[in-house]
Amino acid sequence: MTREELLADIKKRFSDDIMEFFDRSPRRVYIEIKPSSIVKIATYIFKDLQARFNIASGVDSRTHMEILYHFTLEPLNLLISLRVKLDRKNPRIESIAPVFRAANWIEREMSELLGIDFIGHPNLKRLLLADEWPQGVYPLRADYEEWDKNAIRDRGV
Amino acid sequence: MNLKLRALLRSPWVFHLSTGSCNNCDIEILDCLTPRFDVERFGILLAPSIKHADVLLITGIANRKSTIRLKRLYEMAPKPCLVVAIGECSLSRGIFMPSYNAPVPVDKVVPVDAYIPGCPPKPEAIISGLVQLIQKIKGTL
Repeated sequence: MTREELLADIKKRFSDDIMEFFDRSPRRVYIEIKPSSIVKIATYIFKDLQARFNIASGVDSRTHMEILYHFTLEPLNLLISLRVKLDRKNPRIESIAPVFRAANWIEREMSELLGIDFIGHPNLKRLLLADEWPQGVYPLRADYEEWDKNAIRDRGV
Repeated sequence: MNLKLRALLRSPWVFHLSTGSCNNCDIEILDCLTPRFDVERFGILLAPSIKHADVLLITGIANRKSTIRLKRLYEMAPKPCLVVAIGECSLSRGIFMPSYNAPVPVDKVVPVDAYIPGCPPKPEAIISGLVQLIQKIKGTL
């Protein structure tokens, strides 16, 4: 399957779920999709198109909480990024960890650092943060404020 | 001068601890131990365990998780134990100063005897720092 055939196939198959299709460069395609259809599309790209799941990245963009799921198709030298925009007040999305295990840890990391709730994740507990870190404080959110009264934020000179 | 400390200065055994560094300082420490710079001529040897060590070398920021380990290691060290902070991160936290995960610098966690600045410090700087530490303890500096 060539690049054009593959992209046309994705467009046709998921025409109801795709909100925006941005063909940025020969190697990079961004597909903005509805949050409710992430499992369906990720499963198709991973299982049927035999893509490799690279990583997912979470971004707090002030208007939305964004997640980008990056998939590589090595035979075509193509990187497909599925973008979902979630509500900042209550970011929730269905977990893709039950489909492929590589998503397990990155979803745990996004949930503790950005406060995104992954519904159906097998083991959604802390991955990196220290034990004394308070619940409900997410350090990578744009409105994060210092909670530790003992922290020293100068160089002492 | 403390008899134990004087005996220690003949051949200080160092224990190298990275509390979350980027590994550049660790590479420079490794350089010091190789034949080109060869700190063994000052009797300095790398100890495999903190229980055998006289000097604790710290590289990297003391983050929320490694601070606990750093404190525990310092308690396990036979006293007198000298502490050397190597690199900008362990001195003032460098660019990680406003980081949510780096609340305090290393010298607020354990007492530090010598600071070696640089990002990373050159092997010459590390050797100079260690020699100055020995001279400081002897009282000749």
